[in-house]
Amino acid sequence: MVMMMQKIWAMMWKDARVRFSSRSELLFFLVLPLLFTVILGGAQFGGDGDNRIPVLVVNEDSGEMADELLALLTASKTVRPELVAAAEAETRFGDNEHAALLRIPAGFGERVAAGEPAEPAVLDLTQAPNNTNAIAAQQAIQAAVGSLGQAAAAAQSSVMVAEEKRPFTTPTERAAYFAEGLALAQTAVAEAPQRIAVTQPEAATGGFDGAAHQAVGQLLTWVLIPLLGTSGYLAFERAQGTLRRLLVTPTHTATYLLGTVASQLGLGLVQMTILVLFGVYVLRVNWGHSVAGLALMLFLFGLAAVAFGVMLGAFTKTESQANSLSIMMGMALALLGGAWIPLEVFPQGMQTAVHILPTTWAMRGLSDIVLRGQGVADVLLEGSVLLGFALLFFTIGVWRFRYE
Amino acid sequence: MLKLLTIGWKDLIVTFRDRAALIMMLAAPFVLTLGMGAVTGAFSDGSNNGIDPVPLVLVNEDEGELGGFLLDVMQSEELADLLVVQTAVSTETARQQVDDDAVAAAVLVPTGFSASIFPDRATGQTGATMPIEVYANPGRPIGASVVEAVVTEFVNRVERNQLTMQVTMTQLATNGLVEMDEMEETAVAIGNDLFGNSQDAAANIVIDTHTASGSSDGGFNVLSFFAPSMAIFFLMYTVTIGARSILQEQEQGTLSRLLVSPTSLAQVLGGKVVGTFLTGVAQVTILIVATTLLFQLRWGNGLGVALLIVAVALAATSWGLLVASLSNTPGQVGSAGTAVMLLFGILGGTFFPTAQMGGLLEAAGKITPHAWAMDGFLSLATGGTLADVVTPVLALLLMTALVFGAALLMLRRRWAVA
Amino acid sequence: MAEPILTVKDLRKRFGDFEAVQGVSFCMVRGEIFSLLGPNGAGKTTAISMLSTLLRPSSGKVVVNGRSLLTDPQAAKQAIGVVPQEIALYDALSARQNLHFWGRMYGMGGGALKERVEEVLTQVDLRDRADDRVGSYSGGMKRRINIAAGLLHKPQLLFMDEPTVGIDPQSRRRILDMVLELRDQGMTVLYTTHYMEEAEELSDRVGIMDHGKLIALGTQKELTRLVGQQETLRLHFGEGQLMNGEAALFEGVDGVLQVTTLADELVLGVTETTAVLPDVVAIANAHNLRIRSVDIAEPNLEAVFLHLTGRALRD
Repeated sequence: MVMMMQKIWAMMWKDARVRFSSRSELLFFLVLPLLFTVILGGAQFGGDGDNRIPVLVVNEDSGEMADELLALLTASKTVRPELVAAAEAETRFGDNEHAALLRIPAGFGERVAAGEPAEPAVLDLTQAPNNTNAIAAQQAIQAAVGSLGQAAAAAQSSVMVAEEKRPFTTPTERAAYFAEGLALAQTAVAEAPQRIAVTQPEAATGGFDGAAHQAVGQLLTWVLIPLLGTSGYLAFERAQGTLRRLLVTPTHTATYLLGTVASQLGLGLVQMTILVLFGVYVLRVNWGHSVAGLALMLFLFGLAAVAFGVMLGAFTKTESQANSLSIMMGMALALLGGAWIPLEVFPQGMQTAVHILPTTWAMRGLSDIVLRGQGVADVLLEGSVLLGFALLFFTIGVWRFRYE
Repeated sequence: MLKLLTIGWKDLIVTFRDRAALIMMLAAPFVLTLGMGAVTGAFSDGSNNGIDPVPLVLVNEDEGELGGFLLDVMQSEELADLLVVQTAVSTETARQQVDDDAVAAAVLVPTGFSASIFPDRATGQTGATMPIEVYANPGRPIGASVVEAVVTEFVNRVERNQLTMQVTMTQLATNGLVEMDEMEETAVAIGNDLFGNSQDAAANIVIDTHTASGSSDGGFNVLSFFAPSMAIFFLMYTVTIGARSILQEQEQGTLSRLLVSPTSLAQVLGGKVVGTFLTGVAQVTILIVATTLLFQLRWGNGLGVALLIVAVALAATSWGLLVASLSNTPGQVGSAGTAVMLLFGILGGTFFPTAQMGGLLEAAGKITPHAWAMDGFLSLATGGTLADVVTPVLALLLMTALVFGAALLMLRRRWAVA
Repeated sequence: MAEPILTVKDLRKRFGDFEAVQGVSFCMVRGEIFSLLGPNGAGKTTAISMLSTLLRPSSGKVVVNGRSLLTDPQAAKQAIGVVPQEIALYDALSARQNLHFWGRMYGMGGGALKERVEEVLTQVDLRDRADDRVGSYSGGMKRRINIAAGLLHKPQLLFMDEPTVGIDPQSRRRILDMVLELRDQGMTVLYTTHYMEEAEELSDRVGIMDHGKLIALGTQKELTRLVGQQETLRLHFGEGQLMNGEAALFEGVDGVLQVTTLADELVLGVTETTAVLPDVVAIANAHNLRIRSVDIAEPNLEAVFLHLTGRALRD
């Protein structure tokens, strides 16, 4: 047993040396993952992977009221307004990239302020056909419009009721009544209490944390690719003849496999630790509360990934083939597992289907820890599934292991 | 010239015989395009585009009418495609459903919500403010924000109505338009008028909503974005192999062998560049043809597409050559090339449009062939004409001239010394 | 007879329908160099792969140093050192780092390992460059470190599989000297090669393999005795002269024991060259066969192989 541990240590030392014998490995180990997390997480550049529904807006009114509406839309969590010139609007909308086209007509602001009951201000919204995004966009626009000109609306209604009771004698009288109501309403609006509270699980910090999602997703991607690359390392040892030589030493095959897996997994864990620490201390990304839960999920993810690598190794011949496959499968698995785009934007059937992938479960568990602030107890299901994947992949990988 | 083509052709054949290279050149972009298509719903050809219905859970603890109104609104015909509403009795179970990622949000209407808006008939007092809580699922940002928007719109309406009541009644009273004993009756009448009407009676802004003419099946296919973007992304891999082969020939000694034959260094280099370029053109063309046949993608103006392929292959090839000129060993070309491939991928908007990333990055993206080529491909796919690709093609050619020139300078220095 | 360190009994290996090793049996005693000689594809590498536990025999028995290879492979492996045909080292590591790693795989460690690594480095004369990456070594240097890695744990039995393939004469000489030195130190070596000269120079005993079978086994003397007192006469003809049946012309000649046809030569086993040569030349001339050159060889392993198989060792 002691002997076995010593051998595993020697193998880990050797594997680390071989891997970092070229300095460029650091590029993939740390530099690129960090760069990607920074860029995609928007830690420095503002935008995060913006998944809001794109809506075209034509603003033909130059007044304050229209600007206020635009500001409200820009702040919306649901839609991403994109201002276009009236002339381009039709063509751009024809591209079908946008769910809806909103026109703010000239004179919109004056209409809202005027309070002429017969002539409400009209916004023109064209929706893409059969598109739920368009309905969602409409709701968001309505929500924004609703808080706009509330006071004017109330004053206007008041005028209408008063008129029913006793018609105004002169337009001036009518205007004065409106002005009085508007003043009353504005005071009331200013004093109005908050009647809606948006809350999140305790870990989450103010709305969807795009940076945290990207940090998790990028970590997953960049750790996954080299761990799948275990397949390439196995092919390298085969081609190099060192595998044969290892097998003629009094070293059990199990010790060899354990040593290889331990060293690749160990390097993956080091990489993950550095990425998490960098995220926490430099990028100030929220990584949740539960260190134990995070460690557990990352470890099990690493285990499943390296096991996948061993399995991949059983089905690849050459090192370059294995490396190419690792990059391709790493990216595909990360994408489909929701590491790049939140799972919720996937079509329903797809959301279910991708549960056959380990990355989906890793992403789920890590989201529970990081975004929802849960702990070990809440990710036991995801953890068990990852462990199951690891066992399955190892079994297949060892069973079909290529010694030659 | 013939020699150039001979060397180039040899390289093309060698590359296409390499199974590992084929995985990266053809299989990977194809698989990722397919994956992107699948996750963005390009293949779920149902009648609906856009997001899937958002699941939410509502707990109504309000004794008044408003809680019920909200439920009615959410279950109304017009939101049926957008929301899937279930109700729960306890806030704990509802929150649990969010924590378990079963729903996008829990909407919790508290006891006394109506009472905080409607004055008590007996006392004329409104209760303490009781906000509706939207407990959002951080893992489903879009769904949660949709729910939030719907609730906000509802609350806005309630507030507007309440504001209207308040202003109207105050003005009626202060202007002596209503007698003290009529007050309650009038208030109820106005209230019924406002809240009983499904139309937003008090609104002074109307959104005139209509559906765009034209059928939905002509919808923009996200694959039109991902097919070219993935092809260009992995084009960088191809040019990396091409560049690597230059240093490999040097290392294996085949370069010397070529040079002792009556072939000049320029011819050899030219041949390698031609080979890489041809391989790149072949790769992108194959991917375009394959996606056209399999996904019925429309790429638009054929001549424009061809021009773009040639231009982007040229630009990519020169980047590959620059990487080779800055490296010492084939291994270095390999890793530097992969790094450039990934970096350009992200900067050039392979995974999402660069326009979303903001100024600095969008500008940085312009040094990549990707951004320009995508610009061109997207214009063509959405019905643009040849005129629309003039700028991208010229930009790519200019990039080729600059990068290629830099690479040649570096290489000349290296081989003059060696 | 000294105590056997390796006993191989009826060793067989089948790959599907093809039997690569067909019942090989032999023993090795301590301190001897035993060469397995045979052409490429004779089954030497398959045999040595089985002896070094890389391949599982289809049947047969192998006992190394009293331990069965099949039932107690780990103990047997500890007694064996293997120098693989291909260089099996980590290019990215230095020679010293490589040796430390391989030593640990044999369960060595600490000061003992350190000391032994230096010893071995001295033995292969690479101490000066021990901290350079193996990737920067020349072919011959790599071969020497490759051998050193097999010697670290002081094996009682060393397998060397064609250790001189594809290197320059100088490096080859160096390796052969190293093997002789090892023998002088009492090492037992199982050496496979298809170079007759190497087997002749190094071996105490030689086993000749062909088509998966051990067709002869013994000291060089014993083996050459198989050929009798016969000498070998090689007649080289011009290209394309030999059709078929020329061998028959010489078979009746007095003093010719055996005739083998190779590509452009006839190899004659004769009792005494000088007596036979004039007749042979006369017959050739009579049939318009132009002899380009004639080689006369004393009995050697080449002749033995030829005698046993009717084919040349190298073709």
